[in-house]
Amino acid sequence: MQYVIVGIGGQGILFSSKVLGKIALSRGESVMGSEVHGMAQRGGSVISHFKIGQYKSPLVKAGEADALLAFDQNEAVRNLHFLRNGGSLIVNVHDAAALGNEHLKAYIREHDIRVYPLEGYELLKKHMNGNFLFLNVLIVGAMCGAGVGNVSYEEVRNAVRELSPAKFADANMKVLELGYEALKGV
Amino acid sequence: MILEMEVAKTVSTRAILLGNEAIARGVVEAGCLVAAAYPGTPSSEILPAIAGYADELGAKTVVEWGVNEKVAFEMAVSAAFTGVRSCAVMKQVGLNVAADPFMSAAHFDLRSGMLLICADDPGPHSSQTEQDSRFFAMFAKIPCFDPCDAVEAKAMVFDAFDLSEKHNIITMLRPSVRVDHCRQDVELGDIIARDQGFRFEKDPLRWTCLPAGVKINHPKLNAKNDAIREEFETDYARYNYEVKASGQAKLGVITSGVQFSVVMDILKSWKRNDIDVLKIGTPYPLPVRMVTDFIDRHENVLILEETYPVMEMQLPDRTKVQGRWNKIVPGAGELLPEVVEGLLVKVLGGQETVTADANLKAALEELRITPRKPMLCPGCPHRASFFSIRQSLPAAINPSDIGCYTLGINQKGVDAVIDMGASVTISSGFFMAQKASGMDAKPIVATIGDSTFFHMGIPGLVSAVYNRHALVLAILDNGITAMTGGQANPAVGDKLRKGDKGAVVDIEGVCRGCGVSFVKTVKAYDVKAGKDVIKEAWEHAKANQTPAVVIFRHPCMLLRQKQDTIPVRVNHDACVGCKFCINFFNCPGLVFDEAKKKAVIDERFCVSCGVCRNVCPHGAIVSTEGE
Repeated sequence: MQYVIVGIGGQGILFSSKVLGKIALSRGESVMGSEVHGMAQRGGSVISHFKIGQYKSPLVKAGEADALLAFDQNEAVRNLHFLRNGGSLIVNVHDAAALGNEHLKAYIREHDIRVYPLEGYELLKKHMNGNFLFLNVLIVGAMCGAGVGNVSYEEVRNAVRELSPAKFADANMKVLELGYEALKGV
Repeated sequence: MILEMEVAKTVSTRAILLGNEAIARGVVEAGCLVAAAYPGTPSSEILPAIAGYADELGAKTVVEWGVNEKVAFEMAVSAAFTGVRSCAVMKQVGLNVAADPFMSAAHFDLRSGMLLICADDPGPHSSQTEQDSRFFAMFAKIPCFDPCDAVEAKAMVFDAFDLSEKHNIITMLRPSVRVDHCRQDVELGDIIARDQGFRFEKDPLRWTCLPAGVKINHPKLNAKNDAIREEFETDYARYNYEVKASGQAKLGVITSGVQFSVVMDILKSWKRNDIDVLKIGTPYPLPVRMVTDFIDRHENVLILEETYPVMEMQLPDRTKVQGRWNKIVPGAGELLPEVVEGLLVKVLGGQETVTADANLKAALEELRITPRKPMLCPGCPHRASFFSIRQSLPAAINPSDIGCYTLGINQKGVDAVIDMGASVTISSGFFMAQKASGMDAKPIVATIGDSTFFHMGIPGLVSAVYNRHALVLAILDNGITAMTGGQANPAVGDKLRKGDKGAVVDIEGVCRGCGVSFVKTVKAYDVKAGKDVIKEAWEHAKANQTPAVVIFRHPCMLLRQKQDTIPVRVNHDACVGCKFCINFFNCPGLVFDEAKKKAVIDERFCVSCGVCRNVCPHGAIVSTEGE
């Protein structure tokens, strides 16, 4: 399994690969990934690569990712070329109209990409008092709900619980379920 | 019983670690007792992780931030004069700062192991150069290890210490950014106990870099290099080996470091069985016989290494090798998997097929999507400081420095940057050039961060006082070394290991001690006060031909300290769509709505710091309090 996770510096995208890593480790699988630290973390485009299985290089080659988790829809479009034919995109949408772009739809069709949109900001405004720092947990839940990433809800729940600082544990479990339910069976 | 004990001792666990954490774990397990560093991406996580593992495993390791890399290196290398294992950690440009002690100490016959961990940044992602530290190892004539992943990086730490002790020489571990910031499952072990104690013996010729000593030490250093090269040829098969193709090889690829990992994954995805790969983990001194033998056995050879041709230039004959000398391999930039794939296709005689998809390209253009540039965080005090500085003296030239505030380029507040501490000395250079050319003096207002001021800002400031240079130095004190992830520094006083207490060094006091006659402090968020004090500082500097210092103070947003929230909105009746706030304040929370031609608050990013109320010349940004 090869994942590419993209977003904007400050959105906490590294959390997703931590969750995936924890699950892989408990299954006894090997992991390899790459993160962005430093200047790019300051509000710029960020990308994280994560591979589970027998890989050596930390980077996913364009056209080989099974799943793209996008915390920002513009970053999703910029990094869509990482997905293989038949890959899955989980995307946090803030401007649904833009995703209707004809060229974009043609690319998605041509490459048989399954798209799972999630209105993350709206959900967090409605249920979490607008605290957008929960976006990372929400997206992990949504991925699992959509049946992407080859992980069970139970595994994700356990991993998120273990990775959560005590004072956010309850809130994180609530947000995880929010994301899971939003894309469950879509 | 003995068997049981041995099992108990070697019980280990696996954990997913950042490459830098794996290196740190290796440093503690190898029994390193003195570790010093200055933070810099991509090396910054190593030293805090050394402190963390030392706490966890109960090691006695002294772990400290030096105020700069030269300081850190000198502390570490002199500890290795005395019988304790030591390491210094820095990024590639940090070694430029530490080059002086590094070049000298390379000649010394150390008493105990000394490891220099120098992290490179091909790309670059977060640096002012993409220089290759392996060349620095060659320059100083010390051996260099180049790991291909986190697991190998950890293993190499042990060997680098052992090799250092065997030949009494500094050794270098050169992880590149993809190793530093990879995440991989790694075996954890225990500390290997060894006999270490302070045993400094007076021997001036050994520990003093006088010319007389160099005459003895330089030939000795050459002999060490010859011996180590021979060991790399024969004794390091775990790092230097060939991965043979199952079929008849059409191509041989020589790799160093992470390039080995990249090539192996491409071959796996291609399912090709006609490419041999030679992996070199010790690029200096290069095991020349091993590499030459590989070249001799292949008709077609490609050499991949980042970022400079270090192995390539050590080859007695490289005319048969496709590399940088014949411009096959790009001479700049990171060798990403897509680039390497293109190179492999090219040298195999195929056509490169990697082209941007037309639909995707059109979508990006129509939706106006470009890579998001790094910018100062919402609520960042530097944004307010830059705004005050620019609005106070619009004619001023603004040199700046290395840190988050280099991003003040987005506030039009950064005109020139060279390296750590150069904000002050660039200002001096401009002052001297203006004076020499008899021009009317333009104001000079430079910016520098708290940590960078201590790193290398002080000598320039002393020089400016001594030479009577009229300039204003604005020290942006956010109480943290922010860009590299939030490390403490002398202005903060905190230290790394649990229970360690440092002392706070007072910035105002340091400036006065350097002879600065104008030192004033303002709250960074107070734009009006900031504008006034910058004007006053320049008038003082000009009238007295001397530097003036203004300290802008407010904690970094990453510290998440509680502060007043002042929610704001843009009054669209008052907003004229002039984009002044976008061009000069440039906050992620304040964007321009092209359809309405008005500024709007982007609630995804706004943290309600309220500073932008003082930015709009038309008073259109207002508090929502009471609405």
